[in-house]
Amino acid sequence: MNIKHSILLILALSFFFPAALAQTKPVERIISLGPVITEDLFLLSSGDKLVGCTTFCQRPEAAKHKEKVGSVQEINLEKVVSLKPDVVLATELTDPRAKEKLRALGIRVVDIPNAKNFNDICSVFLKLGQLVGQEPLARAIIAQTKKKVDELKGKLKNAEKTKVFVQVGSDPLVTVGGDTFANDFIELAGGVNIVTQKGYLQYSREQVLASDPDVMIISSMGFDGQKEVQNWEEFKTLRAITRHRIFIIDQYLLCAPTPVSFAETLKTVIQDLHPEIRP
Amino acid sequence: MKLNGIFWLMILGTALVIVMLFSLSVGAVRISPQRIIALFFQGPGSSEYSIIFDIRLPRIILGFAIGGALSLAGVILQGLFRNPLVEPYTLGISGGAALGVSLNIVLGLAAVSRLSLPLSGFLGAAAVIGFLYLANFRRGMVNLQGLLLNGVMISFIASSLVMLLLSLTSTESLQGIIFWIMGSLGETDGTLIKAMLAVSLAVLALSYMFCLHLNAFALGEEEALHLGIPVERTKQMLFLMTGILVGFCVSVAGVIGFIGLVVPHFMRKVVGHDHRILLMASFLAGAIFLIFCDTIARTIIAPLELPVGVITGIAGGSVFVYAFARERGQTHA
Repeated sequence: MNIKHSILLILALSFFFPAALAQTKPVERIISLGPVITEDLFLLSSGDKLVGCTTFCQRPEAAKHKEKVGSVQEINLEKVVSLKPDVVLATELTDPRAKEKLRALGIRVVDIPNAKNFNDICSVFLKLGQLVGQEPLARAIIAQTKKKVDELKGKLKNAEKTKVFVQVGSDPLVTVGGDTFANDFIELAGGVNIVTQKGYLQYSREQVLASDPDVMIISSMGFDGQKEVQNWEEFKTLRAITRHRIFIIDQYLLCAPTPVSFAETLKTVIQDLHPEIRP
Repeated sequence: MKLNGIFWLMILGTALVIVMLFSLSVGAVRISPQRIIALFFQGPGSSEYSIIFDIRLPRIILGFAIGGALSLAGVILQGLFRNPLVEPYTLGISGGAALGVSLNIVLGLAAVSRLSLPLSGFLGAAAVIGFLYLANFRRGMVNLQGLLLNGVMISFIASSLVMLLLSLTSTESLQGIIFWIMGSLGETDGTLIKAMLAVSLAVLALSYMFCLHLNAFALGEEEALHLGIPVERTKQMLFLMTGILVGFCVSVAGVIGFIGLVVPHFMRKVVGHDHRILLMASFLAGAIFLIFCDTIARTIIAPLELPVGVITGIAGGSVFVYAFARERGQTHA
């Protein structure tokens, strides 16, 4: 009787245990398919678990030396499979066909949503922290960042609103409106975007002259920011030009931030918009 | 002549097998041919097995089906229109598919079900086929030049509408549409690949019912009629067959240019103008060419991939120009 029971127990265990193990086993081999995810993982001191990332993952320096499995949109399936990952962290830009194939091959694929504002950044960061077993660290970093952002906001309480124009592309002139990180930065830094529409937009130079922003921010995305500054300097009547309030910001910071870089960038934007305030 | 043709088909068949094996053995991950053979007998379980038989093999099969289909569609359309510049995309079918896919991406349907993408591509293609059919085939007599002009105009309208969508959408949709338009053999859905293969082979078999008709067409429509060919019905059938074939191709793989234009030309030079040989030869050569180009596209800058259309254009175009130049040199000498 006893023997029969123990055999049953062993059978039951061998049946259920592998599944239970897979659930609780901490993730050891990660492939990241987004630059922000990669950067977050390094902040969560889990860079050593990263076995593969995209060619777009250039930050921090150590990410450059990780095995590359493709670009953000197109990944090389055989490369991913050969690295035997426990989990593949995909973004909204990842080719859905590739995700489907990986799942069919029995690889765990987790969709990491695209952050659209500061709260999103924090929740994505927390999700990653939980995944790699670094939840306390994630919470600590988020709390620290939130505190910093609140401090910065407090200093801006009495500051006057500044009219801002952000340029992210030249020929054609491209700007950003609502629902973007750049817009969040401007609003948090006590500014008003002269563009009222949403998303990335082709914009008219005439309209920029007519709106006459106090500050212009150029985020060079594949074009020469310095040259664009010279272009704008032709227009002597622009307030931003006469007051020398035209700045260049690294597009990477303005468009793809981690919690840490969010606070840093916010500080920079506040300095550009309100030089009178010492953040 | 006949023997010569069969000889060429055998060479092409051998070349196809060689290219397939070559494509199976190269990729971003290095796996030796001996290992592949061992894996074949060993069966599933290892990640290397997955790479060879779940990732590379379906892609080769898709390349075979699409390359063969595009080339076959090209040879039939060129024979039908007696115009060497006609290719599978000339009739606006790909434009309709591109518009369907773009609308799908912009409206966000792709997020609901991924297979809605090929479906909407096919609906777009079917809409163009339906329109061309109703506008040109209704009265019994078909003016092929009119059909061609209509098709070209639909192409222009569709590409303008796609541009309109591109200029109005968000960055994420933009990328989705551009990647789709560039064309690739990245489709991974097994059912879709099998369906594509079945359609290609079925149309290839069907086309052989019309190979003598196509030979007669080379003399001109009137002469074909005098030879007892049911000209109008043949035109109708061939148009529908190629339309559906191209519709399937573009909805599964996007727009992969050049194969349907150049491979038939090349094959006419090699095996002659007899469609009994030419149809099969074009199918095989198209399959070889696309599998080969795709192998280059996925290995040359691995782990990144180039759009396969880049390779088909550059490789196909230069070989073609070279072959023509050499031929002219020979006739002058």
